[in-house]
Amino acid sequence: MAKILLVEDNEMNRDMLSRRLQRKGYEVEIAVDGLEGVEKATTSRYDVILMDMSLPEIDGWEVTRRLRTQEGMQHTPIIALTAHAMAGDREKAIEAGCDDYDTKPIELPRLLSKIEALLDGRREEA
Amino acid sequence: MEREPRVASATQEVGAVRRRQAALLRLSTAIASAQQEVDVYRSMVNGLHDEDLGYNFLGVFLLDDETGDRVLQASVGWPEAPHDWHVHRGEGLSERALEDGELHYTHDVTRESRYLASLASGSEVDVPLRVDGKTIGVLVVESREPHAFGDEDFEILTAAANQASIAIGRARLFAAERQRADEHKALLDTMGDLSSELELSRVLQAVLERAVTLLGVTGGEVAIYDEATSKLVVVASENIGKDSTGTSIALGEGAMGTVAQTHEPLIIPSYHEWLGQSVQYADVLVHSVMAAPLMIGRRLVGAIATVHSDPDRIFSDEDLRLLNMFAPQAAIAIENAGLYTTAQRQKKYFEEVLLNSPVAIVTLDQEHRIVSCNPAFEKLFGYTQDEAIDRLLDELITTETTRSEAVDYTTEALDHSVRGIGHRRRKDGTLVEVEILGVPVIVEGERVGLMGLYHDITELQRARREAEDANSAKSQFLANMSHELRTPLNAIIGYSEMLEEEAEDVGQDAFIPDLQKIHAAGKHLLALINEVLDLSKIEAGKMDLYVESFDVASTVNEVATTVRPLVEKNANKLEVSCADDVGEMHSDLLKIRQTLLNLLSNASKFTNEGVIELTAHRENGGEDGDRIVFTVKDTGIGMTPEQMDRLFEAFSQADRSISRRYGGTGLGLAVTRSFCHLMGGDVAVESVPGEGSTFTVELPATLGQPERSV
Repeated sequence: MAKILLVEDNEMNRDMLSRRLQRKGYEVEIAVDGLEGVEKATTSRYDVILMDMSLPEIDGWEVTRRLRTQEGMQHTPIIALTAHAMAGDREKAIEAGCDDYDTKPIELPRLLSKIEALLDGRREEA
Repeated sequence: MEREPRVASATQEVGAVRRRQAALLRLSTAIASAQQEVDVYRSMVNGLHDEDLGYNFLGVFLLDDETGDRVLQASVGWPEAPHDWHVHRGEGLSERALEDGELHYTHDVTRESRYLASLASGSEVDVPLRVDGKTIGVLVVESREPHAFGDEDFEILTAAANQASIAIGRARLFAAERQRADEHKALLDTMGDLSSELELSRVLQAVLERAVTLLGVTGGEVAIYDEATSKLVVVASENIGKDSTGTSIALGEGAMGTVAQTHEPLIIPSYHEWLGQSVQYADVLVHSVMAAPLMIGRRLVGAIATVHSDPDRIFSDEDLRLLNMFAPQAAIAIENAGLYTTAQRQKKYFEEVLLNSPVAIVTLDQEHRIVSCNPAFEKLFGYTQDEAIDRLLDELITTETTRSEAVDYTTEALDHSVRGIGHRRRKDGTLVEVEILGVPVIVEGERVGLMGLYHDITELQRARREAEDANSAKSQFLANMSHELRTPLNAIIGYSEMLEEEAEDVGQDAFIPDLQKIHAAGKHLLALINEVLDLSKIEAGKMDLYVESFDVASTVNEVATTVRPLVEKNANKLEVSCADDVGEMHSDLLKIRQTLLNLLSNASKFTNEGVIELTAHRENGGEDGDRIVFTVKDTGIGMTPEQMDRLFEAFSQADRSISRRYGGTGLGLAVTRSFCHLMGGDVAVESVPGEGSTFTVELPATLGQPERSV
């Protein structure tokens, strides 16, 4: 059972995505802002982190950068989620250390295939 | 025996009297038809010539006032006489008649020492010719026989000389009048536009006065024809018992009204018996009337009439001929005055236009000095015409920075018209933004200066900037709104999709179609919002390009994969072909993908059980660089040329029924075209109704500097 951390400040998006993922059999934990995201990511171990980029306090890019400096956090897959379908956002996300990128509104099958691809990679490594 | 010679003599006497009368009649008839002075002389000598009466040789000499010579004008019986024979002062017998103005008789010329021998023997009568109390010449009559003439001859020759004198006087007046008429016509022709209406009545009065004098009539009138009212108005009146100027005469009324109607001259021998007489002249003593229309070509411009108050005077054809000589003078004067009035009106019209023009107008001479300016100019720049006149325009309304540009305009405008936009200075120092038009002023081929027109566009420019700002604000608003709308919309789409999944999981299939409708409506609204956002970004100039390198073939395949479910929904087949050498592209991947998806989703929408083809190939563009050409071809419903005309405009689906039947925002193709332009390319369409459409997107393979949208 893969464990996913969803960092998302919007309550409805958080609710929808977490419920849909749970129905697909994932274990989902929630962080409502960047600081909580950093805290949870560093205290627990997750298979995948889904990171909304436009967060209050510290944004998704900053959270990602911070996580990537932490010992043991360099390889946890992070998928950036943004509201803007912009090439600039994608590059910015990869630069900040994200492994992949997806746009809102979420198309569940597409997101699932990205999650699965990253999990497969991890399994192969392991 | 004694009786017979007396009878013979008496018979001879009777014959001579008859012959003398016949000669006088001949003379009268001949000189009546003489128009010119020289005709009068010829008629006189020819008419009097009679061998039986001893009028063997006749000649008319005129006195040359300067030299005192007598100059031969006409002769008969003197074949040797030179045609302009000059007899010097102090020579010849005929000088006597010139000296004392009396008839002189010489019964035997051989006895006279002063006689210039033209005859070996004979007799001579010299009769003076007098005009206006002055002796102007002499009639010389010679007979081969001495003692040939008696009292009867003196009588007849005196009568002949008197008749001739009258005819000469009249011919001279006539000639003088004709010359005056010619001069007057020439004068009128040249003064043309200078003559005023006041001038007109003066001219007509003068013409009338001379006509009255020359015709020897009591008085007369001249009237002008007013086309607007179809009436004659009397403008000149001379001695007809009352001043009739200003009188209005209807066509057909009285003598002038009649000639104005018939266009033919008219002589009325006894006016009081004439049925057409006018009540206007009931109290005026008019015996006979002669009237003529005044015509320019076939057009009536007025009428002239002359009257006799003396019952013994009647009008002859000769009088009519004389009257007709004045008619053209009067007609021309009227015509010119009419032209003058028209010209005045035109001038006034243009002055009004200039005065009321909202555009500031200034005229300059060749040295760029102000000649005149209109009220709009005074208002715009704050200078009165008095202040502006003679000033150099370019010093008056420019600043240091605009002077040279203004001088360029002025210099150019002397040659050809120029226009532009610039700032000019008012009297109070403030600047005004104006549209400038300069045109050369050319009068009859000669360049005399130029005209400057200034249209204040300060307000216009401000309005334009405000409109641009408003438009930009609108785009900003739309962008913000779109963003704000998307968050709740995402919830609608997301929850409906989620509920759909859950309904499936728990077997509540009845909810599924409704949930799908909510989901589809939400997606449509989202697409609409996204496209509005794109368009407003493009309009606001905020649509940026993110240029990256990517493989064309894999992009095409990726797009095909995405769109395949949509294509197959309408039982269409998707065929994809990529040229082997299509290679890499350096451009905005996301916009190209969106462009292709737009075209493909359109093709799917408008095609049923058909084929949709997506191709890509590279075209060698030489210096301009390679171009990548994508085509999306369908076998759908196609379009008419009219539909294609507006295809790429925002909110312009070919017609409303299409939107109802096929859905869509009407913005997709507008966005597509804007994207293509942004990436330095274009999109084109070819279509046949009922057969299908082909969209072709052509883009530079390598997009150089990222371009901002326009």
